[in-house]
Amino acid sequence: MDTPVLLVVLPLLTAFSLGIIKTFSKKLVKAVTVISATVHLALIISVVREAMQSPIVYHLGDWDNLLGISLVIDSFSAMMALLVGVLSYGVIIYSLVYVDFHELKYYVLSFLLIAGVMGMSLTGDLFNLYVFFEIVSITSYALVAIKEEEASFEGAFKYLVMGMLSGTFVLLAIILTYQVTGALNFAQVAANFGDAPMLVRQTIFVFFLIGFGTKFCLVPLHAWLPDVYCGAPASFNALSSGIVIKASLYAFIRIVFLLFGMTAGIGQILIYWGVITFLVAHTLAYQQESLKRLLGYSSIAQIGYILLAIGLGTESGIIAGSYHIFNDGLMKATLFLGVGIFSYAVGASKIDDLRGLGFSMPKISFAFVIATLAIIGLPPFNGFISKWLILQAAWETEYIVAAFFIPVGSLLSLAYYLKVIKALYSRPEREIEVKPIDWKLRVPTYVLSAACLVMGIIPGLSLALIENIPKFLLDSSNYINLLLGR
Amino acid sequence: MRKFASLIIVVLLSGLLLMTFLSLSTADYDLSEHYINHGAEETKALNLVTAILFDYRAFDTLGEATVVFAVASTIAFLVPKRTASMISARFSIIMQQTTSLLIPFLFMIGAYIIAYGHISPGGGFAGGVILAVITILITVTFGIRYSDRQVRPEIKSFMESFGAMGFVLLGFIGIVLGGNFLANANSTLDLGVKGELISSGIIPHINLMTGLKVAAGLSIMFNSLIKEE
Repeated sequence: MDTPVLLVVLPLLTAFSLGIIKTFSKKLVKAVTVISATVHLALIISVVREAMQSPIVYHLGDWDNLLGISLVIDSFSAMMALLVGVLSYGVIIYSLVYVDFHELKYYVLSFLLIAGVMGMSLTGDLFNLYVFFEIVSITSYALVAIKEEEASFEGAFKYLVMGMLSGTFVLLAIILTYQVTGALNFAQVAANFGDAPMLVRQTIFVFFLIGFGTKFCLVPLHAWLPDVYCGAPASFNALSSGIVIKASLYAFIRIVFLLFGMTAGIGQILIYWGVITFLVAHTLAYQQESLKRLLGYSSIAQIGYILLAIGLGTESGIIAGSYHIFNDGLMKATLFLGVGIFSYAVGASKIDDLRGLGFSMPKISFAFVIATLAIIGLPPFNGFISKWLILQAAWETEYIVAAFFIPVGSLLSLAYYLKVIKALYSRPEREIEVKPIDWKLRVPTYVLSAACLVMGIIPGLSLALIENIPKFLLDSSNYINLLLGR
Repeated sequence: MRKFASLIIVVLLSGLLLMTFLSLSTADYDLSEHYINHGAEETKALNLVTAILFDYRAFDTLGEATVVFAVASTIAFLVPKRTASMISARFSIIMQQTTSLLIPFLFMIGAYIIAYGHISPGGGFAGGVILAVITILITVTFGIRYSDRQVRPEIKSFMESFGAMGFVLLGFIGIVLGGNFLANANSTLDLGVKGELISSGIIPHINLMTGLKVAAGLSIMFNSLIKEE
């Protein structure tokens, strides 16, 4: 069947067609958006169900696996695809009311962004990965600036400069990889990569680390993110924190496991860098007054946890890390959508502005608080489960120091998220006038927030999806054989 | 101090790169060997670059075309709206007449390069750029208002969307014929005789769509960048 490629092509086609549809009828634009997003979600679910049975390989243009480009959907890609599907659907519904600036462009760019992230998660080709990486980057810069405020331009410009730097490093690494392997297809690259000289391999690793690391915010390379989040629309923040950053992280993890394998050396780099990342990010988040900056630093911190878990290089570590990718996507999307509603209803952007909103918007605040508790890592929410799994995995492999700092990080995040919760439920100084909130804003937030709870109470739901991830990551020959069709 | 720090970083990076390049090994380039030896036979496109761009790796090209599309639609709304000094320059009648004289020839070259992209050097991207030069020339010599009147911005963005959609829809031909997305040489299409204008399946059509898209996209970018308001 041809559904795998439709996951990428359908959003592309929608983005291209919106411009033409607009010339016929402006009302149709939103209808087409919703229909396309719904079909997209349905397709994703069917592909993911199929991929859970057995991994899918799709050859574009019917070329055999070495000549052309292939899409590969193993468990890891399927999990990313599901995350992209759920979050993008929620965000598109949310945007119908939230976005009142450059509407047409917003939808066009959002669909391109979704197509790009989807392409990054599904592709089995190194250069194809870069092409989609560029699509994601360029649409992200544009979506940051789309409100045309001072802060958004500043954020977009910083993002652009950092993004171009990271793109250069990634491209250089890909060129070097092609030079030493003579191939671009993941399977063949992985098979030939061992023959390359040590120095070249080290350089390639460093370039991938810096290139993708800038995008997923390793700590000294993270400085762009809070500024970017400040000026961007909340709907983009949800997508960015939930899937855009994660897509770069996904690409990095995929490449590291395929090309280098998780050797002890690389593992240690990632583990300690992860610990430093979340400690620094938590500390910086504590000092923030702006909600979006706080959540931005918190996003960086979660990346640290994931890197730590993946760096352990064991089966339990990979399961814990990928589960945290999924959970953090859900939690961060809920939080950002919640912040978007607060700013839509009363214009709140700082923690102090939330004062008393817990009483005037009880349901939204409750959904928001659920997500905050989840991201701190309190039971019975999903964040607790994945952090617990990470802790356990670190303990098993005797990275005691790293394991020790995980609860420390949670304590730090408790400190700053409590400030937010306290502000929400403290008595306001004066009456607050609340704009009525459309269901299109509320429902996605509720659903995502409920997902945080459900994933925590019945973790089996998603564990069934991720239990096969280590099989294709740890033993790269499985992936190679899958892609080469052996 | 700052410059000194940058200098150190640049020297370190270039040192690393130099060492890497010195120890660079070469591999068996089976992939490129295959393209060179069998590419023209398999796709019936004499221009190998086109064969790779629009058949073997057509999905990449779709992505690249999307990048141009995204950039054009971004620049269209994200530009500082100030008068550019270049536009206020008045050109003499000689310049204007020469430009008018050139335009048909430019159109011919652009159309030729797009249409013959699979036979001779060129293709949708190169030809599209030449077509875009037409509107750019009009804008520079006659001013942006005149240029926007001649080819209205709505028409340009329509053309751009149409080209991009056409690319994707042509890709579906492969699926309709029972193959995979963007299947051409491996589908049941009649590829024709190598070297003729009507040959190599959907490649010339995709070339045409890419040409339309790139031409419209670049002229949108140029006109929005120097817009005066």
